[in-house]
Amino acid sequence: MERRLILADGTVVSGNAFGSSKPARGELVFTTSMTGYMETLSDPSYRGQMVIFTSPTIANYSPDNSKLQSRGLHASALITRDAHTTLPIGGDWAKFNRLLDENGIPGIDGVDTRFLVRRIREHGVMPAVIADGDLEPEPFMDSMKENLVGQVSTREPEEYRGAGKHQYLLVDLGVKKSIIENLLRTGSVTVVPYDYDIESVAGRYDSVIFSNGPGDPDHKALHPLRKAINRLAGNIPMIGICLGIQVIALSLGGKTVKMKYGHRGSNHAVTDGRKIMITSHNHGYAVDRDSIHGTGLEVLEWDINDGTVEKIRSVSDGILAVQYHPEGMPGPDDAREFFTEVSRMSGAN
Amino acid sequence: MPLDPAIRNVLVIGSGPVVIGQAAEFDYAGSQACLSLRDEGINVVLLNSNPATIQSDHRIADRVYIEPMTVATIEAIIRKEKIDSLLPTMGGQTALNLCLRLHDEGILEKYGVRVIGTQVDGIRLAEDRILFSNFVRSLGEPIADSTEIRKEDLWKDEMARFAPGVMRTSFSLGGSGGRLFNSYQEMMHLAEDFFQEVPNGRVEVEKSLRGLKELEYEMIRDSQGNCICVCNMENIDPMGVHTGESIVVTPSQTLSDMEYHRLRSSAIRIVSGLGIVGACNIQFALDQESGRYYVVEVNPRTSRSSALASKASGYPIARIASKLAVGYSLLELKNPVTGDTYAAYEPSLDYVTVKIPRWPFDKFVGDRKTGVQMKSVGEVMGIGRTFEEAFMKAIASLDTYESARFRLHFPANSVESLIREPSDLRIYAVLEALFLGIEPDYISRLSGFEPYFVNKLQNIVSALSGIRTGEIPENLVDLKRLGLPDSLISRFASIDEIALVKHRIEAGIMPVYKAVDTCSGEFRARTPYLYSTYEQDDETPEESQKKAILVIGSGPNRIAQGLEFDYGAVKAVTTLREIGYRTIMLNSNPETVSTDFDVSDMLYFEPVTLEHVSNVIARERVWKVLVQLSGQTGQNLAAHIAKLFGESIILGTPADSIEAVEDRTMFSDSLQRLGILQPPFAYARNSMELEEKIARIGFPVIMRASNVIGGRSMDIIYDLDTARTRFAEIIMERPGKDILISGYLENAVEVDVDFISSGSEVTIIGMLAHIEEAGTHSGDATMVFSSESLAGKTIDDLTRICSTLSREFSLLGISNLQAAVKGGSVYVIELNARASRTVPFLSKATGVDWVDYAVRKMLGGQATASRKPIKSVFLKYPIFPFRRFPGAEPLLGPEMKSTGEAMVPGRTYREAVRKLMDLMGIGEVHSILITVRDQDKPKALEIASLLSDRGMKIYSTPGTARYLAENGIQCRVVYRMEDMRSPRIDEILRDRAVDVVVNTPTATSGSMRDGYQVRQLCIRLGVPLITNITLASVLLDPSIHATEAETREISEYQ
Repeated sequence: MERRLILADGTVVSGNAFGSSKPARGELVFTTSMTGYMETLSDPSYRGQMVIFTSPTIANYSPDNSKLQSRGLHASALITRDAHTTLPIGGDWAKFNRLLDENGIPGIDGVDTRFLVRRIREHGVMPAVIADGDLEPEPFMDSMKENLVGQVSTREPEEYRGAGKHQYLLVDLGVKKSIIENLLRTGSVTVVPYDYDIESVAGRYDSVIFSNGPGDPDHKALHPLRKAINRLAGNIPMIGICLGIQVIALSLGGKTVKMKYGHRGSNHAVTDGRKIMITSHNHGYAVDRDSIHGTGLEVLEWDINDGTVEKIRSVSDGILAVQYHPEGMPGPDDAREFFTEVSRMSGAN
Repeated sequence: MPLDPAIRNVLVIGSGPVVIGQAAEFDYAGSQACLSLRDEGINVVLLNSNPATIQSDHRIADRVYIEPMTVATIEAIIRKEKIDSLLPTMGGQTALNLCLRLHDEGILEKYGVRVIGTQVDGIRLAEDRILFSNFVRSLGEPIADSTEIRKEDLWKDEMARFAPGVMRTSFSLGGSGGRLFNSYQEMMHLAEDFFQEVPNGRVEVEKSLRGLKELEYEMIRDSQGNCICVCNMENIDPMGVHTGESIVVTPSQTLSDMEYHRLRSSAIRIVSGLGIVGACNIQFALDQESGRYYVVEVNPRTSRSSALASKASGYPIARIASKLAVGYSLLELKNPVTGDTYAAYEPSLDYVTVKIPRWPFDKFVGDRKTGVQMKSVGEVMGIGRTFEEAFMKAIASLDTYESARFRLHFPANSVESLIREPSDLRIYAVLEALFLGIEPDYISRLSGFEPYFVNKLQNIVSALSGIRTGEIPENLVDLKRLGLPDSLISRFASIDEIALVKHRIEAGIMPVYKAVDTCSGEFRARTPYLYSTYEQDDETPEESQKKAILVIGSGPNRIAQGLEFDYGAVKAVTTLREIGYRTIMLNSNPETVSTDFDVSDMLYFEPVTLEHVSNVIARERVWKVLVQLSGQTGQNLAAHIAKLFGESIILGTPADSIEAVEDRTMFSDSLQRLGILQPPFAYARNSMELEEKIARIGFPVIMRASNVIGGRSMDIIYDLDTARTRFAEIIMERPGKDILISGYLENAVEVDVDFISSGSEVTIIGMLAHIEEAGTHSGDATMVFSSESLAGKTIDDLTRICSTLSREFSLLGISNLQAAVKGGSVYVIELNARASRTVPFLSKATGVDWVDYAVRKMLGGQATASRKPIKSVFLKYPIFPFRRFPGAEPLLGPEMKSTGEAMVPGRTYREAVRKLMDLMGIGEVHSILITVRDQDKPKALEIASLLSDRGMKIYSTPGTARYLAENGIQCRVVYRMEDMRSPRIDEILRDRAVDVVVNTPTATSGSMRDGYQVRQLCIRLGVPLITNITLASVLLDPSIHATEAETREISEYQ
């Protein structure tokens, strides 16, 4: 069946439908990761976003559930050049299709994805909708205005027991499973909702971690959390990953900016001026480098190409945060060392 | 770290003559390296004995040495050029081995030369199998169980654990030493064979990883320890097939993210441990069931895979690696593709590439099995948005009998057995099985191919099966979108290909072009490196005001069409760019310099087929197409292009002239009319006529069809039975064509003449005399270029013939004439209305850029070639791959068998011959085995008496010995291998009692067989073998050894 993708600038592309037949809308973004389609689709940070895979073929290896980064899939649609003919019909293909269907995610393939990427590169990310056949498409909407974190954050605290002695408090802004897994190597993790009263429990933990997550870091739903961070600063080590770095920066008086089309991929080099690391990125917002003067934060690493802030710290306040994904999944392991730093900051283990 | 100022004079070692496992990819790497270093103001000195390379040119390197690649030569260069640094990682295994020898012999230390890039310790660690195994284990990385054994270890019980396994010797080039064994018994047999030949040697045996998934990672590391992965590659053929022999997909298609990055991380640990500075290739075997992986092998240098990775990803590995070698870090270098972003970056691909090897089984009949040893001579790459599209482009690029037909039409049982065993036919057998309706899962189990790939191939087969004959398919758009080439659609529909291409273009079913940009479109790319696909959005840059000229590349390297033709294409583009045209290159060979996006204004990486040439002509509004520099491939396309776009589109010799020259029968008629001598000839269209026609000419004869590359299917035929068989074969391949039967001129001297026609006048580029008598293919002949090799009258005659032919056929540009000189008369054998493979050789020898001159003349421009008198002597010596093809007869005939060539220059003939002996491994000759056919015996006597006077030991077989004894030369008799008496030939060869063997074949099949065994043994043992008596008398002149050979910059010879 023919399925249409309609961009806010009027561009319409059509392709073959698969997955859910629900209409969908969201911000149209692209990822350049060549592997990890299951990890990507299940990354809560993609909430509210339709994902174009620049890698032309998707679902080319088995859709193994163990790769999922959360309990469901979060991207609001999946757009690719070639998905239909890859997995053996009946077996893995049916399984993947069912997974998309259960999560209400429509897919389109047969699309000139490179055309869309070039469009987004020139005009920036934009809202888009998906409609089947002749159905009237839904109106465009800026999904970044929604409380996306609220949609993906855990409702109740959860406890995970790990190998080491550290007690980590993780504020779930849309956390990926692999972040928790990395923390569990050196301690136990209590995952709490984004609107949890962390100030009252922080004393019981060695450090607080603010996870990755979707949407605008400046969203008002996160304002209470920012206040809490501001008050906790200096009292307990705080760590941020992805959305976490942005929320921390905002809490301490910095600013964030929306990027033209963000960084999404597994091939971004970050540098401290001497060395480089290849890291996994998934962010459409970034910390404004100039805005953090006077906040006590210093920039340790930045993206080698556009200078985006990638790692910050405040020695006095015990803050360390990265914009990239040290856990990879999808992506390289070059930055795994970060979790050792997290452990070290959290005291003797 | 910026540029190291201590690096001023760098020696770059090339890879020498093209051999299997080491071909054009190193010309690409070396050229990039030289240019990259020159950018930095470094003085670049290049050594490469291969004159066909683009790198051995003063536009690429400051100083060029085309000399035998030996330690002595390098020492001389180091002294002469005050070399301070050596870059050994751009010239394949040849350069690495030389570097290790220079180090071990203390020469680097003696002259204070430092190795730049990866250091000797790292190279040795990576190259020595045992050291490497231990090193990998010390990192905690898994590697297959292996050990090194000597003769005495062989009987130990524990040896059984290595079966099934691989046996190899260290420092293998293209896996030449690797052999598979299935059982302990087989291992013992192999080992016994080996120890019989090298009793004190050592071999490594390794437990086989056969059947596991094979992956490669292309890594780059700088001296600061920063490391990136340029791309990974997945072999469709599972482990057990050399990666050079595998169909390879980039990027990997069936690895999960976790698997991809687990191997990447392992690669980083290994590359860092080895201290690589520059490029490095790592191979892994992966067992997806258990999640286990094994490190297989490391190449601590640029490799064939890195050339492929560069073209597949757009990332110029050799260029970046060279910058890292002189001190830069990845943080300091920009990505030349985007211009804005940094080299510290891992390419993201939004397309798929498929590489398929090109095997020479059209030339080396026999065992077509593939395995751990490399046999292919070239490769093609297809780029598409899906696997199907990329795969079909690669198939279309191959230009082989099977790729053109696509179907084998074999019965199911033979298809199945072909699928089980790796060979060049396996992929076609898989496809045939799908055509026969065999289940993909079953095919996957038989072949070890991932189900993913078999399912993808099923898509292709289903679409082709749906094509009805006799009409243009209604769903042509869908077929094109899937990636099916016009050539196959027309074949399956039984319609004319030209008609289909014409219909498609007129119907507006045209591809769009997308860029290879290293970044999946994330950043704007500056390099116009494009491939076609049937989608929405076209990225071809806006048309420029300049007139566009399309230069067609020559496709995959194959025997008789290799690097030499890339030289012509690259040179032509360079000139056209200088004149101010918009230059467009189209080629499908990832190993070449021509597919470097820096060479032309636009690079279309596409099959060199009518379809893709036509699409580009239409898209780019091409003004002229240059076909005469791309070998036979371009010649064969010319007529079709002219038919579609008009005669005037062909630049240079017009299409109808090409046809008139290529058609043997028309050409022979023309010669007759022009009163030019030629060997007696006749045509036959059916076997009935054959006997009568041959009777008129008399044996021996040569039979030929038209339009063939490198004398494909040419044999000297001595009897009627063979004639009938060959005739039937040729008719099968070229039905409906007249077959030309021509007399073979025995004991004539053959001459190759390259000349340039500019309409009104003819300029001779050079005349090369063959040392062997006529009958040896010109690509296989040892040739000499000097002022004294031809008589003045012969030169005049040849010049006049060139002028006559030039007028007759309206030649414009470069042509090549092959003639035989006998009794003072010149007989024309063949005219090629295109540049021949000797053009680069003659350009290097004369110091004139003849392609530049020809291109300017073709465009009607003014050009002068400042040709100087020939002051030196240049030998052209062919290199053969006989070692790779056990059983193939190492004899030369009208069918070309060599893969490459070396140029050996000397101030005098004697000096050149002296160097040639070094190159052939003929040192001071103390003992020789002579066994020759009757007609060669007088010459053998001359050689023997000269050698005998100097007290050399001469061995002969009884027949030759008797003849020599009758003429007063005493020699030791050796017996045939099957003889009970001692000493037998094989005994003295194995004992290394003989320094060189002269063995010439007899025409009749009986004694051919005896000689055959001797020749096989020489090839296996590496004993220098001369199979031509004339060549033997040149090489074995005992006075030559006393001649001093000097190493000189190429211009010193001019």
